[in-house]
Amino acid sequence: MSNVRKSLARRMAVTLIERRVGRAYVEEFLGDLDEMYEDRRSAKGKFVAEAMYWVDAVHLIVGFSSTAKKQHHTMFMGNMIKIAWRSAVRQKQFTILNLLGLTLGIATSLAIGLYVYDESTYDTFHANGDRIYRINQPMIWNNWNEQFSCTGPGVAEAIKADIPDFEELTRIMFIGEQLMRVNNNEEATHFTESKYFVAEDNFFKVFSFPFVKGDPATALKEANSMVITASTAKRYFGDADPMGKLIETKSAAGTYTPFTVTGVLADVPAKSHLQFDMLGSLPSVPEFKESRSTWIFTVFATYGMVNEGTDITALTKKLQAVPPKWAAQTTKGVFNQTFEQFTKGQPWTLYLQPLQDIYLAKSPDFNRFGPSGNPSFVMIFGAIGALVLALSSINFMNLSTARSSNRAKEVGVRKVLGSGKNTLVRQFIVESVLFVSVSTVAALLLVQVSLNTFNTVAEKQILLLPHLTNPYFFGILAVFILIVGLSAGSYPAFYLSAFKPAETLKGKLRAGFKGTGIRNGLVVLQFTVSIALIICTFFVQKQLSFASSVDVGISKDHVLQVHNIHQLGKGADVLKAKLQNNSVFSIVAKSGALPPNVWAGDRYRADGPDQAVVDLNYMRCDEHYLPLLQTEFIIGRNFDAGNAADKYHVIINEEAAKVLGYGSKETWKDDSPIGKHVVQSFGSEEKLKIIGVVKNFNFNSVKQRIGPLLIMHNENDKHWSYTAGFPSYLSMRLNSASIQNGEELQRIIDGVKGEVTKIDPAVTFQYSFMDEEFDNTFRDERKMSVILNLFTILAIVIACLGLFGLAAFSADQRKKELGIRKLHGASISQLVLLFSSEFTKLVALSIVLASPIAYLMTDYWLSNFAYRTPIDIWVFIAAGTTAMSIAIITVGFQSFSAANTNPVEVLRSE
Amino acid sequence: MSRVIGELEELILLAVCILDGDGYGISVKNEVERHTGRTILLGAIHITLYRLQDKGLLESQLGGSTEKRGDRRKRLFRITPKGMEQLRASQEVRQKMWSLIPQLKPGL
Repeated sequence: MSNVRKSLARRMAVTLIERRVGRAYVEEFLGDLDEMYEDRRSAKGKFVAEAMYWVDAVHLIVGFSSTAKKQHHTMFMGNMIKIAWRSAVRQKQFTILNLLGLTLGIATSLAIGLYVYDESTYDTFHANGDRIYRINQPMIWNNWNEQFSCTGPGVAEAIKADIPDFEELTRIMFIGEQLMRVNNNEEATHFTESKYFVAEDNFFKVFSFPFVKGDPATALKEANSMVITASTAKRYFGDADPMGKLIETKSAAGTYTPFTVTGVLADVPAKSHLQFDMLGSLPSVPEFKESRSTWIFTVFATYGMVNEGTDITALTKKLQAVPPKWAAQTTKGVFNQTFEQFTKGQPWTLYLQPLQDIYLAKSPDFNRFGPSGNPSFVMIFGAIGALVLALSSINFMNLSTARSSNRAKEVGVRKVLGSGKNTLVRQFIVESVLFVSVSTVAALLLVQVSLNTFNTVAEKQILLLPHLTNPYFFGILAVFILIVGLSAGSYPAFYLSAFKPAETLKGKLRAGFKGTGIRNGLVVLQFTVSIALIICTFFVQKQLSFASSVDVGISKDHVLQVHNIHQLGKGADVLKAKLQNNSVFSIVAKSGALPPNVWAGDRYRADGPDQAVVDLNYMRCDEHYLPLLQTEFIIGRNFDAGNAADKYHVIINEEAAKVLGYGSKETWKDDSPIGKHVVQSFGSEEKLKIIGVVKNFNFNSVKQRIGPLLIMHNENDKHWSYTAGFPSYLSMRLNSASIQNGEELQRIIDGVKGEVTKIDPAVTFQYSFMDEEFDNTFRDERKMSVILNLFTILAIVIACLGLFGLAAFSADQRKKELGIRKLHGASISQLVLLFSSEFTKLVALSIVLASPIAYLMTDYWLSNFAYRTPIDIWVFIAAGTTAMSIAIITVGFQSFSAANTNPVEVLRSE
Repeated sequence: MSRVIGELEELILLAVCILDGDGYGISVKNEVERHTGRTILLGAIHITLYRLQDKGLLESQLGGSTEKRGDRRKRLFRITPKGMEQLRASQEVRQKMWSLIPQLKPGL
């Protein structure tokens, strides 16, 4: 048999065994393996024999390398842990600093990791989620370069007619806040519902929101049927069965339409970009079919479920043929413009956006039907998490490296006593892995404890515990522990274990210990990051206070605003009259929108031949609203209640005058816009005579530049718009004398509420203050700034822990040098200076490095704002000084104690 | 005998006794498999054989090679007096315990 060549696999196994198993055994093992191989080959065939040869070989190798060394190994592990424990206890200060820094870092990045994970896993629960796309179009109302998540109802119909690649196309329609009424036991209860939408009957074929009751296939088929969620059912009907019960919705005209409950859904999961409490059936709103405006009635979102295996790129290409073919009818019918005129030559692109990308997409950033995430937050926090983790790992490596040089003697003695290099390497690595493990466990505890606070700040519901049952989570933790442990442990491990014992024992290492270069580099890196963070945080604060102090052009303080006034119908005037007589209010006014939330807009042009069509925002209000806002008229006048014709006149702002082509106020002496007319771009409507021009004021957040605005009287019934006739808001300016304290204010609000209820108890009383609303436009930024502050402090703390550790180490290393200097007459202050300059130099270098980085980041962030705070040099100086003083304080303690030591103490023991 | 041996150890000791000087890795493996009906990996047999030798219950010497083995010698194991004693001791323990089972007492 020996003349038969063995297969390569068997030869490899033989080589392995020869290497791995003690020589004494090799002969008999290989003999046995060969014998068995022959037996098996004749009994079961070559393949089995070959495979089993390997199995046996590996088993022998594993068995014999482990039996041979196992006891020795476990004994050693125990010993290693014991030594790790002893050296940890011996250097308590280092140990605590090290663990604290690392724990903080891991906890921070863990919390951020959870946040990022939570934000990036929305809409994962739909059965066919990978085939669902939202169909987006350009922002056709102004910026065609932006994506818009809303489409007209015609889009789905046109696609259905032309393109067979969709298994289902479904639409959901936004109809705004609704007043609902329900009669239980002859008693009417009212609810205001903002999460009420209208959906097409195949909505549940696309989305898998689970039904508790009812049939998903038919629930939304009939007109006036409605599906509600379980908690809504509870709210309306208590524990009674809601199926078949009636809920009435109130129309603008004040009549009620009954809807039958045809299905109950489980509550919509929090991590869904569609958030609704109730869904009406689309046939209940037959007006949507009105064909004239079907491509521009952008209150729908269109979702498509593509056939399995559809090529999305090809499909997207095919979709582009749809708008030119179908939208032309609308542009012609509504605006009297050709398709090309309407689009101004820009492509009316239809985009397919995958369902799971919707929540966190950068564009479109607008979602009418639920929350949308902020991808830059996720990116910024992700980056900060990674940075903090990196900083604390660096710290850990730094301190371990520093600490380990103190153990050079230990290494020397161990080597003399016959310890192998491998054992020493293993000792250091085991120690650092142990440290990282302990910190990780501590960090898990810390996160669990502080998660509540974090959730409050970040407005999330993140939980740690469910992740603890996830093997992937543990896998990631284990990989992390190994990576940090190994990289932190490897430097001292390989460096120290390579020493010649005689030299280390003679003390040569002390003088020649390298690694300071690396450590200094790491300190510089840490401080660069910290200082850059300090500067950025500074500017975020500065910008926020700057933005809230920007003069918005109107007087936004002391304005109380009551919402839902349209629900009172004619009663609104009664209420207004009542409140006007109240002496705490200096003026009361009605309006259809409230700054900073004036969103409505349409297309207009100046009357006359060849005038350009422009987009104007518009707002409806009565003659009291502009005086209430204390806007300033540049020219012309306000609406006059005594002049009946005024309700068909309009007032524009400076910007509108500019875009309409009336020039600026310098030229108005000769040729003012007063008395000129504005018309809607499709020309068929009433001419609107301009009676006044007001100074620009911010009717949107100060993040935005002031746009052109058209102010119409709320009773202008010739001009169609949503809020015509029934403005939604009643605003009142409080006499500042009457609001000395919160109680007083609460009493006033309660009084207004009483008046509203007296007129119609069904109306939901809701109020706001204008200054708070302006503040709220910075809610996201404020939230970000709080979290940013927190992380900046953490980064600084971690960097300082590191610096402190290094200073302590260096003080210990240099105590003899300092002692000798002292003997030769150096004063304490000289020594302190000498000692701390070693570190302050590093921090100074960091300041130099951090400043340009921070400048670029701040500049980038500020570019989001129309009104930006200047990037002042003093902020950089202040941040640098702060960092430097923190560093000096940190190092100072060490340098004083080092300089104060009696030289005899350190020098006598040589 | 104070030391207790494991089940596999006992089975292997018994197999070595049965094979009477002809016991080496494969023959012991075959013997144990034949009597117990279970499959045991060669490595496990080897590990146990060496462990038993370390405990002084077995002794061994290198012997007869065959062509099938690629002219490599086998390590032949033989039981020591101490091993025999150990086997008897464990059997006694078992017998004593068997005799104490009430269900098996005559008259029941």
